[in-house]
Amino acid sequence: MKKYAIIYKAVLMENLQYALQITMGFCSYFIMIFVMVHLWRYMYQSPGSLIAGYTKEQMIWYVIATETIWFGARSATVSRQAAADIRSGNIAYMVNKPYHYPLYILAKYTGEWSIQLPLYVAFAALVGTGMVGGLHRMHPVGLLAVALAVMLGVTINGVFKLCISLLSFWVEDSVPFQWLYDKLILVVGTIFPMEIFPAALQPVLKLTPVYTVCYGPAKLLVDFGADTFGEILLAQSVYLAAGGVLLCFLYRKGVKKLYVNGG
Amino acid sequence: MKAIKARELSKTFRVRRKEKGMYGSIKSVFSPKAEEIRAVDKISLTVEEGEILAFIGPNGAGKSTTIKMLTGILYPDSGSVEVLGIDPTKKRRQLAYEIGTVFGQKEQLWTHLTPYDNFLFFGAIYDIPGREARMRIRELEDVFELGDLMDTPVRSLSLGQRIRCEMAASLIHRPRVLFLDEPTIGLDPVVKENVRSLIRRMNREMDTTVFLTSHDVGDIEKLCQRIVIVNHGKIVLDDSTAHLKGGDVSLEKVIMEIYQSEGGRPEAS
Repeated sequence: MKKYAIIYKAVLMENLQYALQITMGFCSYFIMIFVMVHLWRYMYQSPGSLIAGYTKEQMIWYVIATETIWFGARSATVSRQAAADIRSGNIAYMVNKPYHYPLYILAKYTGEWSIQLPLYVAFAALVGTGMVGGLHRMHPVGLLAVALAVMLGVTINGVFKLCISLLSFWVEDSVPFQWLYDKLILVVGTIFPMEIFPAALQPVLKLTPVYTVCYGPAKLLVDFGADTFGEILLAQSVYLAAGGVLLCFLYRKGVKKLYVNGG
Repeated sequence: MKAIKARELSKTFRVRRKEKGMYGSIKSVFSPKAEEIRAVDKISLTVEEGEILAFIGPNGAGKSTTIKMLTGILYPDSGSVEVLGIDPTKKRRQLAYEIGTVFGQKEQLWTHLTPYDNFLFFGAIYDIPGREARMRIRELEDVFELGDLMDTPVRSLSLGQRIRCEMAASLIHRPRVLFLDEPTIGLDPVVKENVRSLIRRMNREMDTTVFLTSHDVGDIEKLCQRIVIVNHGKIVLDDSTAHLKGGDVSLEKVIMEIYQSEGGRPEAS
């Protein structure tokens, strides 16, 4: 694993140079949060009311948390570079190096979000506290549990986005599939908590990546409980293992189909 | 000992065909057509350890496809390959530790890092311990005369400087076989000559086997003991450079005549 740590470190060094540029993304993040805060304030007109079991503060912090994960985990490496490597044939020059290409890409992705996500977390804390006030007091252990869930969620997101990129071995363009996945996470996962949806739909949604990537970590932040944590951690472990198996399967099958025209 | 053994190696590509214009585009959606192109057709060859071999041919002859099969990038449709006794199709990662590759038109270095950081990075990729990697970097720095470049990000280097760094990076793990696919492409004559002397030095001092493709007759004439010419995916000539250069006619003319007699397009050097 040492070599993947080195890849991670190299990307970290690169991204540190672009930390200022990352903060430019704060503008669109702020606009999104601003709109959502006002939308939820309008929905919670009567004081003390609950929607789907969430107070206004919980609901807004839920959205802040999911949007932070969404913005902090944005990565061209897993969604575009891997697909472009396959389409252009560049992957050919990486598969004969002594590393596993999917792990190489995931190490790069981790290097990216390791810089991006903490910057967004800091900004989110600032924006959230300013707009809705501080969240309920959490035990440091609870915060560590939330951090773990967020990191696992972001990793699962990377694994699934990379799986979609690997479809480029078979289809001309994997972008439409990335678009569908992104919209699923964005619409179902970030704007509303799962409890908003009809009861019949909720078990189905729990089977989608939305539960492990966005909902789980955000739910823990606004309504922490040891049982919830255990449930989410279990789901994330299963998802990560299944995603890993799928990733290896797609890569092994795909790399044998590799078509690289001569030079 | 044989460094490379290839027997009856073949590779066919399936290429999509589409009639021209809008009608052709619509028709290809409902009735896609593809054509099979035999890029490599039963190529058999062996290369001795420590040999410098030129593997040349016109564009589209099958040179790069062959290199990609020898290095484990592509899976052959049929035939067998062994590089240093390792089957690239089965043990690609194991083979990666024994071979180095430089593709003249492809960058393997990380452009935002300095050559020094890149070499350390590649050292780690090849599981070379830190102290040993630093020692090898010092050696490569001397051999490739990289002293002034070591702290400059790769993106700020000239093409010639970058190629020198690319070659140095591909040697950090001391490969026993080096595959060079047009290493001097786009370089000016002085840098070309430097790169050639580096290849000679590597071969002499480290006994590295070199498998070279190039359209530059100068590379072949000054470096290679043996020339293999491929065209239409088949080997059309396998002879020593000394023998081909024997007469009054220049090596370039001999090669062009072979290309033309085999129906391939001659390349300007």
